[in-house]
Amino acid sequence: MKGQSTQVLLIEDNPGDADLVRLRLVEGKSAVDVNCVHRLSDGLASLRERSPAVILLDLNLPDSQGAETFRKVLEQAPDVPVVILSGQDDEALAIKALHQGVQDYLVKGSISSSSLDRAMRYAVERQALLRSLEMSRKQQLEFKNQFLSHVSHELRTPLTAIHQYVNILLDGLAGEVQADQRDHLKTILRSVNQLGAMVRDLLEASRAESGKILLAPRCVAAADLIHAAVAMMQATAREKGVGLEVGVDTSLPLMHADPDRVLEILINLIENAVKFTPAGGAVTIQGCAAAADTDFAYFSVTDTGCGIAAAAKALIFDRLYQDPNAVDSSRKGLGLGLFIAKELVSLHGGRIWFASEPGEGTTFSFTLPLYSLDKLLFPVITRDGRLRDGVVLVKVVLRPNSNAPRGRWKDISQRCLETLQRCVYLDKDLVLPPMAAAGLEETLLVVASTDLECAGIMTARIREQLGKVQGMSGAGEVEVSVSAVPLPESGTDQPLEAQVHNIAGAIGEMVRAEVGEAQRLSASAKA
Amino acid sequence: MTKSKIMIVDDDPDLRQALRLRLRANKYDTVNAGDGYSAIAMAYKERPDLIILDLGLPAGDGFVVLERLQKDDRLSAIPVIVLTASDAQSSERRALQAGASAFFQKPADNAELLEVIRATLPKVAKETALPS
Repeated sequence: MKGQSTQVLLIEDNPGDADLVRLRLVEGKSAVDVNCVHRLSDGLASLRERSPAVILLDLNLPDSQGAETFRKVLEQAPDVPVVILSGQDDEALAIKALHQGVQDYLVKGSISSSSLDRAMRYAVERQALLRSLEMSRKQQLEFKNQFLSHVSHELRTPLTAIHQYVNILLDGLAGEVQADQRDHLKTILRSVNQLGAMVRDLLEASRAESGKILLAPRCVAAADLIHAAVAMMQATAREKGVGLEVGVDTSLPLMHADPDRVLEILINLIENAVKFTPAGGAVTIQGCAAAADTDFAYFSVTDTGCGIAAAAKALIFDRLYQDPNAVDSSRKGLGLGLFIAKELVSLHGGRIWFASEPGEGTTFSFTLPLYSLDKLLFPVITRDGRLRDGVVLVKVVLRPNSNAPRGRWKDISQRCLETLQRCVYLDKDLVLPPMAAAGLEETLLVVASTDLECAGIMTARIREQLGKVQGMSGAGEVEVSVSAVPLPESGTDQPLEAQVHNIAGAIGEMVRAEVGEAQRLSASAKA
Repeated sequence: MTKSKIMIVDDDPDLRQALRLRLRANKYDTVNAGDGYSAIAMAYKERPDLIILDLGLPAGDGFVVLERLQKDDRLSAIPVIVLTASDAQSSERRALQAGASAFFQKPADNAELLEVIRATLPKVAKETALPS
């Protein structure tokens, strides 16, 4: 009855111990089929091919010792129950093993056939239980997110009707409106907009929780985003009698971040700050280079509000957290804004934190990665510790026809970017992150490690492939041009980093010259 | 002088009516459909200059409508603006790939929607519709 026997992988280097275990297994009640290997590497290889019902594991093997042994086995086969058979009765190690996911820890000297049999069966049961718990947790999360998505969709329809009809009344499409009636309508509109924002936050939070937020990073100027966020929040702040003040270091280099998401972070923080600042107070938004880490931009939003109570400090970024002592209790919101901001910052690889004294206001700070041409270029234009022989800059301009609808064009240019990334060699060419474009025209730039002569083949390929992009024909034009990047004289004794830095500087200059005018890039771009 | 004709497809009569009022105030002619099937039939009959399309519809959802419009040479040139309560993250890309010209999530900003309508309407119709 081999088909029904329990498949056991025994990883044990001592032949005497292996025989003993085998003997105990044969004596036991269950039919077992033992595959015995002597080295960890052989055990891992066997696990890659098929999963046994249970793994019996000795910790001290020729190619691995102690905790390292079970860590590697668990990493290779997280779903297979592991029972450790150890020579030493080491309680501390046993507990450590259980914490990391091992099912049982038996001491070789004291194993009987029945105890080994039982330990194996229980290990299998516990592992199965654990897996089904994990499954139902995932299902519940999935269900919750589907539910939230459905609810927010259903809420949006009546919200839209209210929004539309209030606007119809306000715009006088249904007749003259008196001044006091207009005020009432504006109150309705404000509440509806708040409701709409809450529905959006609900969806966004559930997306963040299930890891469904995708970033589309671009090269963006922090100043542009700060000014855009402040412009969007100006009306809310003015209504409350709170001033918005901006301080941006104009020499701040470009960032590499998703502009829509950065706006969302800023708006959430500014909204929060305005909410907790009394009339007559001010909210200050700042952006500058991070003092501690030159690879990051630093942002801060400071209010003159009530500050955060000591008890609330540990919870402030938690989902749904509300400060119970908050002064303005009339409009609390859902308690999702800071949670979403935290998730978006960490998705970018940045940090978010705050400093606050009760009664003296709060400063929220966060960092986002700067766009560093040096770092992006280094692996591309060097090989074996020296510069490559030639470097060129390929410029691809996507220019929509005058009647191209912007939605469709946005999609086409995104497809062009993806196609372009497939047209280049990953090890020696680099598609630069696209610039946050003001208009519809898009300029994509490629740094290629080749000379002008060979670049012709590449540009021909790019032209051909982009021409084939779905929806491109008739919607717009592709223009491809190449220019050489000046390289230092050979035989220079500069360190490689400095050489790359100089080339990055030269490329930065070329990029600014190419797109700077059209897209109002500030002279602050960092090479 | 002929006005541009815009077809509104939405299963919610209140929203249809609101959009109709808004568009008429901006000197557009409107026709309505409340489900996917009538939307296709109406498109053949009325030949609108532009369609504003909801995605969640009975009798053939918005994606079915987009697909049918694209398939017929007589209708495929009509620009479609999607205006939906569906989640933008999941449907925007799909709608644009299916041939929509623009995507708006409800509730949309009226000024922005009107601007996109103006920019999207076929050239000739636009010039005659907006003599001002």
